[in-house]
Amino acid sequence: MRVIDGSVGGGQILRSSLALSIVTGEPFRINAIRAGRKRPGLMRQHLTAVRAAAAVGVAQVTGDELGSTSVTFRPAGVCAGQHEFHIATAGSAGLVLQTVLPALLTAEKPSHIVLRGGTHNQWAPPFDFLERTFLPLIERMGPTCSARLTRHGFYPAGGGRFTVDVTPAPRLKRLEVLERGNVLSTTGRVLVSRIPPGAATREVAALAELTDWGPDAFRIEELPQRQGPGNVILLEVESDALTAVFAAFGQRGVRAERVAELAARQALAYIAAGVPVGRHLADQLLLPMAIGAGGSFRTLHPVDDHVTTNATLLREWLGVAIEIEPDTETTARVTVK
Amino acid sequence: MSGKRTVVLGFLGSNLDAGGRKRWDRWRPTVDLCRHDDLIVDRLEILHDRAWTSLASIVRNDVRQVSPETETVLRVTDMGDPWDFEAVYAHLHDFAAEYPWRPEEEDYLIHITTGTHVAQICWFLLAESRRIPAKLVQTAPPARNQRDLDPAERAGTYTIIDLDLSRYDRIATRFAREQIAGLSFLKSGIATRNVAFNALIERIERVAIVSPAPILLQGPTGSGKSRLARRIYELKRARSKVVGGFVEVNCATIRGDGAMSALFGHVKGSFTGALRDRPGLLRAADHGVLFLDEVAELGVEEQALLLRALEEKTFLSVGADTEVGSDFQLIAGTNTDLAEAVAEGRFREDLLARINLWTFHLPGLAARPEDVEPNVDYELARFAESTGCTVRFNKEARDAFLRFATAPDATWPGNFRDLNAALTRLATLAESGRITVDLVAEEVLRLRATWQRRRPDDDVATLVPLLGRDSVDALDRFDRVQLADVVRVVRRSGSLSAAGRELFARSRARKQSVNDADRVRKYLIRHGALEPLRSQGVVSS
Repeated sequence: MRVIDGSVGGGQILRSSLALSIVTGEPFRINAIRAGRKRPGLMRQHLTAVRAAAAVGVAQVTGDELGSTSVTFRPAGVCAGQHEFHIATAGSAGLVLQTVLPALLTAEKPSHIVLRGGTHNQWAPPFDFLERTFLPLIERMGPTCSARLTRHGFYPAGGGRFTVDVTPAPRLKRLEVLERGNVLSTTGRVLVSRIPPGAATREVAALAELTDWGPDAFRIEELPQRQGPGNVILLEVESDALTAVFAAFGQRGVRAERVAELAARQALAYIAAGVPVGRHLADQLLLPMAIGAGGSFRTLHPVDDHVTTNATLLREWLGVAIEIEPDTETTARVTVK
Repeated sequence: MSGKRTVVLGFLGSNLDAGGRKRWDRWRPTVDLCRHDDLIVDRLEILHDRAWTSLASIVRNDVRQVSPETETVLRVTDMGDPWDFEAVYAHLHDFAAEYPWRPEEEDYLIHITTGTHVAQICWFLLAESRRIPAKLVQTAPPARNQRDLDPAERAGTYTIIDLDLSRYDRIATRFAREQIAGLSFLKSGIATRNVAFNALIERIERVAIVSPAPILLQGPTGSGKSRLARRIYELKRARSKVVGGFVEVNCATIRGDGAMSALFGHVKGSFTGALRDRPGLLRAADHGVLFLDEVAELGVEEQALLLRALEEKTFLSVGADTEVGSDFQLIAGTNTDLAEAVAEGRFREDLLARINLWTFHLPGLAARPEDVEPNVDYELARFAESTGCTVRFNKEARDAFLRFATAPDATWPGNFRDLNAALTRLATLAESGRITVDLVAEEVLRLRATWQRRRPDDDVATLVPLLGRDSVDALDRFDRVQLADVVRVVRRSGSLSAAGRELFARSRARKQSVNDADRVRKYLIRHGALEPLRSQGVVSS
């Protein structure tokens, strides 16, 4: 059986392994899960990912308990169709989707996935990134994916909900995202729920000052009262190649201007680099490309640690060649064969 | 983890768990306990006053949102004033009695952060006494600066407290130290060296601390039963196993008509001379320890009542028509074999069965020669303490006394009582605090003389177990004294040859005796004593 060292990469290596195991049908064991951390072993969000993967992969699992440092996972197929996953503690629903989606992209029948929990928190890409950036690129590989947010789930209240409908393709096509092309539009949305409205206006004012996008580029959206409290700035950069999304979260003790600065800095660095694929997207694209027909993209250099650990896992598991070559001071070309 | 479900029970915190628009900005113990990354609450039972039903519903909904794994059960508890200790305790006690605990399937945590301090104390008491099979969980808000924390830490912290103290290494070690102190305590601080005796005391100590069951101390007169019984009581009290007093009674001294009312009490006017109510010794020992020495001397009727008192913890006083209760722990002492007393119909078999769950045989002093010396030191120290005069042996005198005291022919029939008397005499007579060889020689003569003037009772006690009372009664005093002495020597020697050597020592010295063992055997056969000794395994067949 394939044995994975869970002490490097933590939760991400677990999620990628689960996704690969369902896709390839190959069982695995992961040992020393999160060894050396303050609280080692499976935490609640990891357990949710394991159980979601077990449902989709019809898998036999051992060690799926809180605090467990070793898990074995034996998938017996791919169960496409209706799935509902509920993620506790406003944990990111997007990360669970990332675990189960790859196998469903080439399944025998369509899937309808309901995800409940956190949709917008600072520890994972927000729903808008999935909807506007990630899934449109997956669609270029063949499948059809449409995501619909019915309720926002901020940290800590959670309670968000979105659905993803997947119409699979027989195989995933090669993906090339090398040139960004022209920037077509730059806009921003400031979402607020149950927090003083002054913060949103200050964020917009600060964004207008930090960017040259003009005051009309930004819009405040007040969410219905039934959501938990929250505030997020979502900046979108639409180019010939794709729509990139950048987020920054308001939180107690952090000034509105500071939140605006965090959001703007990411978007401006991306625009300045001239590449199509941002940091988060680079990490998320590797796996679908590796299980499909490969491809290449240009991204920011140096790449995130997540990208290198993920690349190592994919090389070992699938035998694919993944090259990460810097082509300028700030950009790199990633090729998957 | 165990694979068991985790169930949290706790009060709704009417302040800490409060609702409102800003509730997600605050730490709320009940909601946040379900928000930890390394703890999944499978069921949450919220106890709340009827007045707080709508807050309880808000909490339930919020818990459902952050913890889909958790099933929340709301329990209305109308216990009135939550600061009234009696009301809260009674309420939770009832709750504990009625709650369908399934500890083999579920792990229980009592959340003590919410609720009044009184409620907290009651939870603690119920969990500590194992009326609630739960651990306690205490929660605390997160550190001030939220920005630096990862999401799991923003739920604050929780600490699980298991009140089973034996699970904590450092506490267990401390207990072990105390236990050693307990052993020394039972031995009255005497550093005894006899291995068998030390093992016995260790066992008694363990039993005394753990078990409220009766203890039977069997041993010859003066072997220290009474002192040990008191020590056991003091140990139990020090470890809070009993709260009442120590009541000691020698059953031989309360034989006859007065025994019943002495033990079980009487009501005024129940018989001539019953001028006022008398509670009786059993009642006096309520929640304490009753030491019945020479328990075999207890009358048959009293035995029946005692058995009932042990089993039901209630009994009927003389002349009373309602039962009174007494919850006492019994220590019984005896110097005879109770099984024999049962065989002879003098002692109830069911009572023996009840009290000999823990039977300990205290050896006499003669069987513990290595302990003579520490006991000598102990007696001298006690003498010094009570009189203020420090007394010492000189070297020669000490050697002489120990040589005598540990020799095989020092039978110490009165055991520690004899030793105590001897040392009291020596210490009293010692001039300027020195015990001399002359004093020792004098004391040795005195002891020997005492031991030879054995009371006929002791001879009877030696022979009855072998021959039965009727045969012993039929013996002339002339034969009884001789036979008893021979039997004692045989018992002590363990073989006929060794006994023969001792019994015919003078003849042997003059080389006039040829087959000592044979003479002893024939003597014993003539009195019908050989077979019983063989069947008891005293001599080999």
